[in-house]
Amino acid sequence: MIHRRAFLRNAISTSGLVAWGCTAPRFLQQTAAATPWLGEAGTKDTLLVVVQLTGGNDGLNTVIPFKDPLYAQYRPTLKLPTAPLPKLNDQLAVHSSLKSLADLYEQQAVCVVQGVGYPNPSQSHFRSMDIWQAGSLADTLTEGWIGKAMAKIPKAQGFHLAASNEAAPLALAGAPAKVPSLTSLSEFQVRTFAGSAQDRMQQKRIIEGAAEMSQAKTPALLDFVKQTAVSTYQSSQRLQEIAKSYQPKVPYPASGLAERLKLAAQLIDADMGARVFYVTIDGFDTHANQLDLHANLLQEVADAIAAFYKDLAARGHGHRLLIMTFSEFGRRAKENGSKGTDHGSAAPMFLVGGRVKPGVAGEHPRLDRLEDGNLVHHTDFRQVYAAVLEQWLGVASKDVLGGTFKPAAILA
Amino acid sequence: MVRYLRDQIDPRWAWAPYEPDSERPWDLRLAGHVYRRAGFGATYQELQEALRAGPKATIDKLLQGGDGQEAFDRECQTMAEAIQAQADDLPLRAWWLYVMLYTPHPLREKMTLFWHNHFATSQAKVLNVAYMLRQNQLLRQHALGRFGPLLQAISKDPAMLIWLDTVESKKGKPNENYARELMELFSLGIGHYTEADIRQAARAFTGWEIKQDRFFFNRTQHDATSKTVFGQSGPLIGEDVVRLCLQQTACASFLARKLFRYFISETLAPDADLIEPLAKAFRDSNYDVKLVVETMLRSNLFFSDHAYRARVKSPTEFGVGLVRSLNGKVGTIGLAQAMENLGQKLFFPPSVKGWDGGTQWLHSTTLLQRQNLAQAITSTEDQRFGRRCDPAQLIKQQRVPEQDDAAVVQFFVDLFLQNDLPEEARQRLTLYRRESAKHRYPPFWTEEDVREHRLRTLAYLVISQPEYQLD
Repeated sequence: MIHRRAFLRNAISTSGLVAWGCTAPRFLQQTAAATPWLGEAGTKDTLLVVVQLTGGNDGLNTVIPFKDPLYAQYRPTLKLPTAPLPKLNDQLAVHSSLKSLADLYEQQAVCVVQGVGYPNPSQSHFRSMDIWQAGSLADTLTEGWIGKAMAKIPKAQGFHLAASNEAAPLALAGAPAKVPSLTSLSEFQVRTFAGSAQDRMQQKRIIEGAAEMSQAKTPALLDFVKQTAVSTYQSSQRLQEIAKSYQPKVPYPASGLAERLKLAAQLIDADMGARVFYVTIDGFDTHANQLDLHANLLQEVADAIAAFYKDLAARGHGHRLLIMTFSEFGRRAKENGSKGTDHGSAAPMFLVGGRVKPGVAGEHPRLDRLEDGNLVHHTDFRQVYAAVLEQWLGVASKDVLGGTFKPAAILA
Repeated sequence: MVRYLRDQIDPRWAWAPYEPDSERPWDLRLAGHVYRRAGFGATYQELQEALRAGPKATIDKLLQGGDGQEAFDRECQTMAEAIQAQADDLPLRAWWLYVMLYTPHPLREKMTLFWHNHFATSQAKVLNVAYMLRQNQLLRQHALGRFGPLLQAISKDPAMLIWLDTVESKKGKPNENYARELMELFSLGIGHYTEADIRQAARAFTGWEIKQDRFFFNRTQHDATSKTVFGQSGPLIGEDVVRLCLQQTACASFLARKLFRYFISETLAPDADLIEPLAKAFRDSNYDVKLVVETMLRSNLFFSDHAYRARVKSPTEFGVGLVRSLNGKVGTIGLAQAMENLGQKLFFPPSVKGWDGGTQWLHSTTLLQRQNLAQAITSTEDQRFGRRCDPAQLIKQQRVPEQDDAAVVQFFVDLFLQNDLPEEARQRLTLYRRESAKHRYPPFWTEEDVREHRLRTLAYLVISQPEYQLD
C-alpha cells in the first residue's frame, strides 16, 4: 500500500511542480527569426551581453604596456613576466590568463578599448558602479542605460542571469517590463500543494489572480510586487520547456560565470526574442595579495566568454552577438604595500563578437602622466555606450545618455 | 521606487508620539506593523496581547525585551562555543537564525542585523568562523548602545581588520581600503570627505594587526608622522580618525537616514528637515542608538501610511517571520540553506555596502524561492522543516470553528496579513476554502488527512498574496 506521505512527496517532487503561465506573454512567443532585419532603429535582431567585473578590475595588469619601463617600476611585485604574455602588438600584451581571449583576438573577434573612464572619477565602488550602470553622472541615479534603451526598442526583452546572492542591477531598471533575474531554469517554477488537477488549477488561479488584481489605489511598493509576480509567473512555463533540450557545441569551463553564460546561450538558442543579457562576476577589489586572485578571475572571464562565443558562433549567432565587459574603475598605477592595488580610474574594456572592429582602439593611458596616481582616461565610457546603442541596438543614444557622445570606433 | 514628497511632512508632527484616535485606531494592522519592524513578526498570541496592551506598553516591551534574556544568552553562548571550532560556516548561519527565532529580545536582534548590514563583513574573504562569530557578538553587545564605542570597536575587530585589509597596511605602504569605507559607508557618506582625507587617514591605521586572535598595535609598522584629516593635523592614530569622523556633523544625519530606511520607509526619501530632529537627538545624546530607535518606533510617522508596508521584507524577515507566525520550532540548518536561495546569506553580504534591500530583494527567482519556501514550510512534508510549523495545529489550538469557512480564512488573514487584504482577494480565498471540500483526494487519506491538508493549502495561499512580501 502506498503510504500517504510517500504519495504526497512523490506528487510534490514530480507532477506537483506546477509550472505557471496559461498564456505565454507576447515576448515569449515571438522568435528572433520572425524579427525582420531592416538595418534601422529598433528592428535589429542583434544581441548584447554585458559582463560586469565587480570590484574594480586592475586594467594595468589586464592590458599591459610591457615595453614601458614605468610599468615594471610601478609594479615591483605585481609586474607580469613579459615572455609568456599574449601580445596584441609590439607594445601591448594581455595577461597570460586571457589566452583564450587573445586567441579570439587573432580571429578578429575582439576589440580592446583602452583608457575608458569619465571626468572627475569617483573612487567609491558604489557611486562609480551606479554611474557606469546608469550611463550618467547625475547626483541621483534611478534608471539604467540598458533599461532606458529597452524602453525605446519595441517588444524588447532581456534577462539578468544572476548568481545566488545577487540582486537585479540598476543597469536594467527603467525597462518597460521588469527584466527577469534567473539563477537556474530548473528552479524557475512555483509549487502548489498536491491535489487533483482541478485543485491545482484553483490554487494557481488564486496565486496568479492576486498578482493581477487591480485596486483603485495600489501603493507603489505593492504594485511593484505584483508586477514582479506577473512577469515571473508568465515566463515560467516556457522556460521549463526549453530547459530540457540544450546541448552546448563546445564544452564550457566549470565556473559560475560560465554557467550563467551557458544559460544565456540556452535562452538565445531557444529564440525567445530576448536581446539583452546581463551577467556579473565579483571579486576584483584586489587591495592585497592580488597576483593569484586576479589571474584566476581573468581566467574565469576569458574562458567563459570564449566558450560562450564559440558555442553561439557554431550555432550561427556569431554575427548577432556583441559581448561587452566593464568594471566600475581600474586600479592605482603604483601597487600598494600589500602586494595589491587601491582604487583607480581609467581602464580598458573588451568587446567580443562577429562584427566588432578588431584590434585596439585608442592609446594606452600614459604612465608618465598620472592624475592623483591614477591613469587618465581619453575615452568616455558613454562613447562606447553610444556606439552600442546607435550602431548595435539601433537606439538614439541621446535619449538614453542625456547628451551627445561621439560613438567610439568599436564596430565594423 | 523612491518617491519624493511633494507635500512636505511636518517634522514636529512626524516625530511626536502616536496616540490612537478614531482616524488611526490601534488595531491588528498596526500591532502587526510594530512587531514586523521592531522584531521579526508576531505570533497569534503576541498580536492578541498587543491589542489589549496598546501601543505604548507594546513598544515598551519590545524596547526592553522579554524575560529570560540572561538564560537565553548563556544557552546561545554554549552553542556558539561549539560552532566556532568548526571550519564550516553553515552552523554559524543556522545559529544566528536560531537566535532570531527564539530570542526574548527581538529588537536587539533586529538591530544586530542592521549593524551586520551596516558594517557588512563577509566570511567569503575573512574565512574564519570564530572571527565572524565574535564580530556578530560585538554587534549584538552594542546593538542598542552608543555608536561611538561601536565604531571604535569595529575598527579593531579581527574580522573587519581582515575584511578591509587593515592588517596589510604598513608604514610607508598604507592600504586605503578601511579608511575609505570608514568614511563612505560607516560614518559619513559620499560628499563629506575628500580623497586627500582618505589617503591621510589610511596612514593612521598602519600597524594595526592581529596577534593571537586579538587586535595588536604594532608600533614598528605604524606611521607616526603628521597627517591632516578634516583639517586637523597631528600624528593621528586610528582612534583619532574614528573620533574625528564622529565629530563631523554629517555623521549623525548619515546614521539617522539609514535607520529611517530600516524602520520607517524605503520608498520615502526624507528631506533634511525631517531627518534633522533625529540627527540632533543623536548628537545631543552622544549617539544613543536606543533613544533614536525609540523616537522612531513611537512616532506619528511610524504609524502613518508613509511607513505602513513601505518596505519589502528581507529574506531573513520573510523566513524568520513565517516560522514565528506559525509558532514553529524548527531546526535552522534547513532555513539557513533556504535563505541563500532567497538572496540573503547571512555573514556573506555581497559587498561592504551590504545588501541594497528594498525592491532589490525581489526579482523573479527570489520571489519564486520565497513562495516555494512558504510551500515547503506549511506543507509539513518537507524534511528540512518537519511537522512543527503546522497551520492545521494552530487552527486546533486556537479553537477556530472549522465548519465556518469564512472564520478559517479570517484566522489566516489575521495571522499573516493582520486583516489587511482587499475584499476581492478574501472572497476568492473563501471560495477556494468551500470548493476544496468537494475536491477528490486519494482514497487512502483519512478524513483527518484531508482536513489538515485543506488547512495547510489555505495557509499557503494566504502567504502567497503579494501583500505578504511587504514589511
